Amino acid sequence: MGPLILNGAPAIHWAIAGAGIAAVTLMLLYLANRRLGISTGFEDVCSLVLDAPYFRRDAVVGARGWRLPFLGGLVLGGVVSAIGSGGWAPTWELGMFDTTIGWGPMGKVVWMFVGGLFIGFGTRLAGGCTSGHGIFGLSNLELPSLISTLSFMGAGLVTTNLVYRVIF
Amino acid sequence: MTAVYLILGLLFGYILSRSGAADYNFIQGMFLLTNFQLYGIIGAAVAITAPGLWLLKRYGHTISGAPIRIELKPIHRGNLYGGILFGIGWSITGMCPGPILVNIGEGKVYALAALAGALVGAALFGVSYPSLAGVFHLPPLARGTGDG
Repeated sequence: MGPLILNGAPAIHWAIAGAGIAAVTLMLLYLANRRLGISTGFEDVCSLVLDAPYFRRDAVVGARGWRLPFLGGLVLGGVVSAIGSGGWAPTWELGMFDTTIGWGPMGKVVWMFVGGLFIGFGTRLAGGCTSGHGIFGLSNLELPSLISTLSFMGAGLVTTNLVYRVIF
Repeated sequence: MTAVYLILGLLFGYILSRSGAADYNFIQGMFLLTNFQLYGIIGAAVAITAPGLWLLKRYGHTISGAPIRIELKPIHRGNLYGGILFGIGWSITGMCPGPILVNIGEGKVYALAALAGALVGAALFGVSYPSLAGVFHLPPLARGTGDG
């Protein structure tokens, strides 16, 4: 499978990773009665500074107490992983983007910001992301989650193939 | 409880980081059909979560004895069109929402730009909800598109 970009570390086995994600998902429900989902966290952050009616909804404001620490944990998980796999250091390394497209830091910032716009707007329009639709929703046999998961997997497939097999 | 959320988030973030789920090359390999690690991860996660959920709902309570409560996501046209937009963004950045934060933790500087984009995107969505609701037949504002 090739090493990770992060410190060139080997990736853990997919079955172990999948079991770990399932454990976190079930623990979140068992310990706190929360359904896993990350993308509403973007709205939680927005709600700290925006007072449009959408960001004053109970589902947004009321979930800040659990989602914001959970998001903080995700960042910490990345820090711990970097330290544990060889050391933490700021980096611009981007794997096959560097070898094939080869843009520098400014190009990457623009590329990432544009991609981020699609993620923020798209996940909220879809009502969830890989975690809320792909993991929890599919596991709970919810039709909207199947529709969203098929559409984001399909769109990703088309986009990456355009970028790496047609354009660059 | 804040500590519980923090620790579960940390665990989740660590797994995403070390498995390739937050790795640009692994994500592109998934979409190029040259690296099947991510299909294995998502497949295994769903295969284990699904029976776990069923058991928890069927026989279980939360640790404090409360009945399990799961709010189902509403169905609307945003499921399809939002999914397409998100898929484009996932391919461009190599990150879905969780891994944006994980990559920031790992020290990947460009992930900060992805986060900025995602926050602006979510903000644009929120402030234009009333007009989008008509176009995509979204639920009333108080309900939203689905939390997750």
